[in-house]
Amino acid sequence: MQLSKIKRDGQFRVTKMNSDNESVARLMSLGLLPGQEVRLTHQAPLGDPIAVTFEGCHMSLRLSDAAEVEVEAL
Amino acid sequence: MRKDADILRIALIGNPNTGKSSLFNALTGLKQRVGNYSGVTVEKKTGEWNLGDGNAIELIDLPGTYSLSAKSIDERIAVDVLCGHAEGQPAPDLVVVVVDVENLQRNLFLASQAAELNVPMVIALNCWDVAERKGLKIDCKLLEQRLGVPVVPTVANRRRGVDELRTAVLGALKTRPVMIRPSWPDAVKESLGLLRSAFIEKNGENLKDGELTRLLFDQKSAVISRLKTPKPDAEAIVKSAREHLRKGGYNPDAAESLLRFRFLNPLLLDIIERQAILKQRSRSEGIDQLLLHRFWGLCVFVGMMYVVFQSVYTWAGPFMDLIEGVTGWFQGLAAGALESTPTLQSLVVDGIIGGVGAFVVFLPQILILFLFIALLEETGYMARAAFLMDKLFQWCGLNGKSFVPLLSSYACAIPGIMATRTISDPKTRMITILIAPLMSCSARLPVYLLLIGAFVEPLYGPAVAGATLFAMHFVGALVAAPLAYLLNQTLNKGRPAQPFIMELPHYRVPRIGSIFWRIYESGKDFVVRAGTVIFAMTIIIWALLYFPRPADVPFEVARENGVEITESSTSKEAVMQQFSREIDAAYLEQSYMGRFGQLAQPIFDPAGYDWKITVGVLASFPAREVIISTLGITYALGGEVDEESKDLRDTFKSATWESGPREGEPVYNLAVALSIMVFFALCMQCGATVAVIARELNWSWALASFFGLTGIAWVAAVAVYQITIRII
Repeated sequence: MQLSKIKRDGQFRVTKMNSDNESVARLMSLGLLPGQEVRLTHQAPLGDPIAVTFEGCHMSLRLSDAAEVEVEAL
Repeated sequence: MRKDADILRIALIGNPNTGKSSLFNALTGLKQRVGNYSGVTVEKKTGEWNLGDGNAIELIDLPGTYSLSAKSIDERIAVDVLCGHAEGQPAPDLVVVVVDVENLQRNLFLASQAAELNVPMVIALNCWDVAERKGLKIDCKLLEQRLGVPVVPTVANRRRGVDELRTAVLGALKTRPVMIRPSWPDAVKESLGLLRSAFIEKNGENLKDGELTRLLFDQKSAVISRLKTPKPDAEAIVKSAREHLRKGGYNPDAAESLLRFRFLNPLLLDIIERQAILKQRSRSEGIDQLLLHRFWGLCVFVGMMYVVFQSVYTWAGPFMDLIEGVTGWFQGLAAGALESTPTLQSLVVDGIIGGVGAFVVFLPQILILFLFIALLEETGYMARAAFLMDKLFQWCGLNGKSFVPLLSSYACAIPGIMATRTISDPKTRMITILIAPLMSCSARLPVYLLLIGAFVEPLYGPAVAGATLFAMHFVGALVAAPLAYLLNQTLNKGRPAQPFIMELPHYRVPRIGSIFWRIYESGKDFVVRAGTVIFAMTIIIWALLYFPRPADVPFEVARENGVEITESSTSKEAVMQQFSREIDAAYLEQSYMGRFGQLAQPIFDPAGYDWKITVGVLASFPAREVIISTLGITYALGGEVDEESKDLRDTFKSATWESGPREGEPVYNLAVALSIMVFFALCMQCGATVAVIARELNWSWALASFFGLTGIAWVAAVAVYQITIRII
């Protein structure tokens, strides 16, 4: 499942990331790596961007970038 | 290389929102802006840090970055400074890495990258108090042992830990400890070897091992642009090394993050002890439950933005009136004192005092807006505001951070453009600056009111007049949106959207000291950098409107009015007094600006303007609302008319073309009125804005935006005139 498609109130784990995408490469250097747990905290009023937390990090990212991250439900 | 061997240099690096700027202030005492929002530290800041043993040290505050991957300008600067390739300065003697205790792992990623550059290091564990309050315990001794560099707990904004840091730095300057580095797998080592032999051994490049690591791991590394090797060759070398890495089983884009965190994570085992549930963390999350809520969050946002807008638009009013009153009082005083020397009187009254007033009058709006911006940033709300609004701006290449500057520009573009400093992406910031002058600022309102009152209301009634006024406020925004889109396409060449990853930092209680500092700094910066330019512009425009002032003008005006006087006439003074307004009008007509306006009139002829309107348009360059007093003077009503003036409205209605094909026809009609309003909605007739753009970007962009926007305004004005004149 893509990170851009997940619902709130669930715990997910990253399985695959497309590191060609600059934003994804950036997320990786912030510690969002395959195996990392991630949670969706908020969606902006117009649906995009979304806010996620991982490892004490609270980051906002756009859906187009989130689509490059594959996750699985825990 | 080194000019002054006695001066030691220490660089300060750290992630955004770690309190790095606070630490910089605490160490140097030379106060700087304190950021709570990513990317405020754009400039290189240096200060003097007194180490207490007679050593004065230059402390360099590097831009806050999450990594040294050298993709953005900020990161590139950080790498260059740390490697000794910036401005002919050698590499710093030591680097202090500011680390947020709460995000140890992510922050040490940056430290680990910096270690690769072989600079001695001390780590400052900042926000120690917050961590303690949250029940987070860190074993500093153990961490120090494992990393191999001194680790000092600090609370920068309370100046705690400063002495301990000083001691650690003094020790480290002698022992030169370097943080432990990962031992790379063979594939990485071989790839680095390929780069080393090609760049250093074959091409004789001056590259450190750390820079080779950057070239290998970063897609489109900015380090390439610094090399002697021609870019295509360098890119080919890097590509083959990355290919080698890929063959060895590592994706070059992901390898560094994977390997570095794999190296760091075991080092952090048993270091962090969480004693209690993280209460503070949930408090920040709790606030976000409301402020980022899809409905209520938006309500709060609209409310807050209303307050911000009102404050700049309305609350600044009394202060601006006061400044105008004081300016007027000084002008009256000077006018009285210098009555015997009319030229000097006009220079002092209209040029000098008017010129000072011209930029001081912006200060209330700037100071008030920056109070709110400082509050929004210090609390951490600014990132949330950008989060809520981002979608609106995505399609034209901007992002949510453009919202506050553009909203502020509806009150006045000056503080709005200054507020773009909160936008970390340089291209987004540039586009926002370039479209900000199109937002309908309050200086346009008098022009709208005057013309709508004179030409729309009498014809169509107050309802249509109100609707017209409302619509005028959107003309600029309608042009701004496609313009932003076009600028994004041309400035960004092929890059559809900017990476927009933004941290939503924990909410914090703002520190009054740093808020006042930021307000003071923005005000000072405006007065020193832009104020002087606005002052100079006002003097130049004054001179163009005043000179050459032919001596026989009063006599000619008197003659035209049927009174014959000469230089020696006893009634001269009385006659000049009687016809003072007509004489002023004649002087303006004869002035350089007046002559230029008559010369330039054909340019504005397709928009329906006669030479008087043209002079008004040109003379209003210092500020848009000046057109009203200029028109007042040209129509011999004096310069004190305002948008409510009945005389001016009546004069408009009776004004006729003096010559040319339309001689005798009325100058003003609905088409001309709309054409003038549209011109003023879009043009860049604001010297202060040009000066501020020059300050924030450069003079080329300031001039480009002046001619660009004024050109767009001309096209739109001509179109509106030509269409309307055919309909009515």
